[in-house]
Amino acid sequence: MAENMSVVINVNGAGRAVSVEPRKTLADAIREDLGLTGTHLGCEHGVCGACTILLDGEVVRSCLMLAVQADGAEITTIEGIADGDDLHPMQSAFSEYHGLQCGFCTPGMILAGIDVVSRNPDPSPQEIREEMGGNICRCTGYQKIVESVQAAAAVMSAEGGSA
Amino acid sequence: MTTTQENRWIGVSAPRREDAPLIRGRGRYIADIEPAGTVHMAILRSPYAHARINGIDTAAAEALDGVHCVLTADDLEGIGDFPTIWRLPGQKECTTPAFAPGKARYVGEPVAAVVADSRYLAEDALDLLDVDYEILDHVVDVEAALADGAPVINEDMGDNTIIEYTFPGINALGVAGDIDGAFEEADEIVSGRFKVGRYSGVALETRGHVAEWDDLRQTLTLHSGSQVASLLRTELAAALGIPETSVRILTPNIGGAFGNQWDRYPEDILVSLASMKLGRPVKWIEDRREALQATVHGREQLQEWQLAASSDGTVLGLKGRVLSDQGAHLHSVGIGPAWVTGAAAVNQYKIANYHCDVVGVATNKTPNSTFRGFGGPEAMFGIERMMDKTARRLGIDPAELRRRNMIQADEFPYFSPGGAVYDSGNYPAALEKALEAVEYDKVREEQQSLRDQGVYRGIGISSYIHVSGFGPSAILGILDYYTGGYEGSTVKIDPHGRATLYTGMIPMGQGTETTLAQVAADHLEIDIANVRVVWGDTDQTPYTGFGSAGSRSNVAAVAVIKAIEEIKAKAVRIGAGLLEADPDDVAYADGRISVKGAEEMRSLSLADVAQQAYWAHKLPEGDQPTLEATYVYDPANFTTACGTHVAVVDVDIDTGKIDWVKYVVVDDAGTIINPLLVEGQIHGALSNGLGGAMLEEFVYDEESGQLLSSTLMDYLVPSFTDLPDFEIHHLVTPSPHTEGGFKGMGEAGCFPAAGALANAVTDALSHLGVEADQTPVTPSRLWSLIDQAGG
Repeated sequence: MAENMSVVINVNGAGRAVSVEPRKTLADAIREDLGLTGTHLGCEHGVCGACTILLDGEVVRSCLMLAVQADGAEITTIEGIADGDDLHPMQSAFSEYHGLQCGFCTPGMILAGIDVVSRNPDPSPQEIREEMGGNICRCTGYQKIVESVQAAAAVMSAEGGSA
Repeated sequence: MTTTQENRWIGVSAPRREDAPLIRGRGRYIADIEPAGTVHMAILRSPYAHARINGIDTAAAEALDGVHCVLTADDLEGIGDFPTIWRLPGQKECTTPAFAPGKARYVGEPVAAVVADSRYLAEDALDLLDVDYEILDHVVDVEAALADGAPVINEDMGDNTIIEYTFPGINALGVAGDIDGAFEEADEIVSGRFKVGRYSGVALETRGHVAEWDDLRQTLTLHSGSQVASLLRTELAAALGIPETSVRILTPNIGGAFGNQWDRYPEDILVSLASMKLGRPVKWIEDRREALQATVHGREQLQEWQLAASSDGTVLGLKGRVLSDQGAHLHSVGIGPAWVTGAAAVNQYKIANYHCDVVGVATNKTPNSTFRGFGGPEAMFGIERMMDKTARRLGIDPAELRRRNMIQADEFPYFSPGGAVYDSGNYPAALEKALEAVEYDKVREEQQSLRDQGVYRGIGISSYIHVSGFGPSAILGILDYYTGGYEGSTVKIDPHGRATLYTGMIPMGQGTETTLAQVAADHLEIDIANVRVVWGDTDQTPYTGFGSAGSRSNVAAVAVIKAIEEIKAKAVRIGAGLLEADPDDVAYADGRISVKGAEEMRSLSLADVAQQAYWAHKLPEGDQPTLEATYVYDPANFTTACGTHVAVVDVDIDTGKIDWVKYVVVDDAGTIINPLLVEGQIHGALSNGLGGAMLEEFVYDEESGQLLSSTLMDYLVPSFTDLPDFEIHHLVTPSPHTEGGFKGMGEAGCFPAAGALANAVTDALSHLGVEADQTPVTPSRLWSLIDQAGG
């Protein structure tokens, strides 16, 4: 077996060093080595989007990357988007508009929603559906997620792009 | 409502108390649980549909550094199988073993397991296991499995017929129809042959367990995503041969269950056995390929129906044969879903003469068992397609044909020839409301002109009943269903007057915690913030007979109400003593215990009384200290949720693609506890229903017996762009049989979905005579039908 490698990642604003097998996925390293279990694994082959994180500002599926590939990167996980006790508008909107049921897809959905709004501050329902097509939800039928993202977008633009 | 207080919470879209951790990424799902010293299990599964296992060489795997043990069938001495708990008369005996019993019967059946320091290492070790397979002929088609000379999958059964069960068309009052007479009398006999596709819940979270055996205390703690902890505890203890008192099941957040997690599975035993062997925590998390191969599948049926009608559109009789493709062996509920199909197929219609044969058939596929809807969606698909075929044959509008045959609002209770007793509803009102919402006449009018422009628009109506709230237990007994239909609830008032509610229900995303808190808050007449709901620990929570399902809140809610009634009565007795009044002159209202007519002067808060109940200095004679009650509620009857869906679609005849125009739902689930959550359940169930109607399918290769759709690239679940916005309207016909009038509704949305879609597609292509009789109606399948029809 290959020897462990040391990887330094800036996670939610703090530098963290982990020692991982080269074959370990970034998702597994986030969950097991960084202890951030809000990043979920639904398929481990890049289809479902439950493991979505932001890496250097881009949405990525952390199950499709190796942890060693993230050396030197900045990542944001679901645990890093609230400002202390103040929820991110996307988090509040998902709760208010019933954009989640079992909650398993929710961290990925919220990060994907933040990404959509960061590129398109006033997305139409159809645009949201198209842009978020890489994230699967089995509980909601999506309609209430679309409503949640739209509502969050309105709050985020009113707050002047606080995302 | 039968109680007198005003509802402050029932009927309100109370915010979900479940959400706070989930939106922060602080939910605690099974994969997030890892006690110190945990080792990891991976499972070797059969790569063949049918193969004898002549031997397994485990030496190389066992020699790998970091491997703790390898389990094979040789390690199962003294370990039992899981039973099939629905055992209909004439059903051949069939159980769920922990490992393939000498031969593998489907791709994905467990053959061996490895426990190692990490999951990565455990999977490395799987590659080192050397299994001597002797490949046998297989069969993955239900009709081929019944043919002479078909490979026999379970030799002890003699052939692949597991059970033949007949619904003779006798209702619960013992009144029998005359099916032959109905067909002799008929002006028209309409036939249909339907293939209901094989698909399943495919929850985003895969199954998993963490087992912790404590060898000093001889106790097993199983953290499990099972949605039915009580039954799992009973059956797991029996399988492992340990006292049930030694087993504790802890349930974390569940990332979707959809009925699939109702069943008991081989891995429940394997992970526990490994922990007992090693004396340390063992964790197993299913990967996605395993989830698609080895978590139960659902639905697949081949239905043949004949409908006898008079020329005025009266349906005189319905007879049919349902072949249920059970997969390799019966799972926890046997042929239960197909039985429900037979029981429910007459749907909302007054069809006095009925006959249905249901045949459970073994094939070399994953077991077909519990999945949201449980036979109902299959039944609705068949009958609703038959109604449309009949309408077309008779030249009657499909809405009108339904109107002429529906059970009327004043005909309840209705004794169906399928055997069920429908409690209440207003089927015609739901139909009319749906037609109005979709602007039926206008869409019909536009249809022709659109067709002239090359736009093929279709309207599909599908009505449904959903018999929910399974119970009473006595009826389950008559049905040979070896579990109870009750739900228990314990309510404890603390010395400060706050309530803790213990439920055997397992929340799996539907908002059970919030809804039960709403019911408790209203009936105790206290603020909802003062109600805590405890679930997911068999050491604390009441035993639930049936286990949790999306449609069980109605039963659990009544258990809560009944327990609270006992608490209020006790509070009145204690309060009367303290107020020096006759208990008959004291009432419980607004969370206070007061002398009637002197509420301002002589009144105690619930906290005052609770404190006294705990001090127990001056309790009425016969009352025990503290303020708590347990009630186990066994429902008086099933409840029947109902409604009508109408789908409007455009079909692209060049590609077979279906585009949504509109989807209208009219739903009647009795009294609604939380409208927002009900809407969420309808959306979700509908997306499960439409997924199987349009996209989702477990496809097996006839030649190899392989499951071809074993990744999410091949098994297509609906994405954001595949589903429409749903327009939802409600009717409220409270159930006369349950306190509160609640009906189960968590599954109802998936019942009419496939019928509505297939009827709409067929309607859109009526000029070609294309009939969408097989689900899923994928673009390629539909394009082939259009092509064959010369479109």
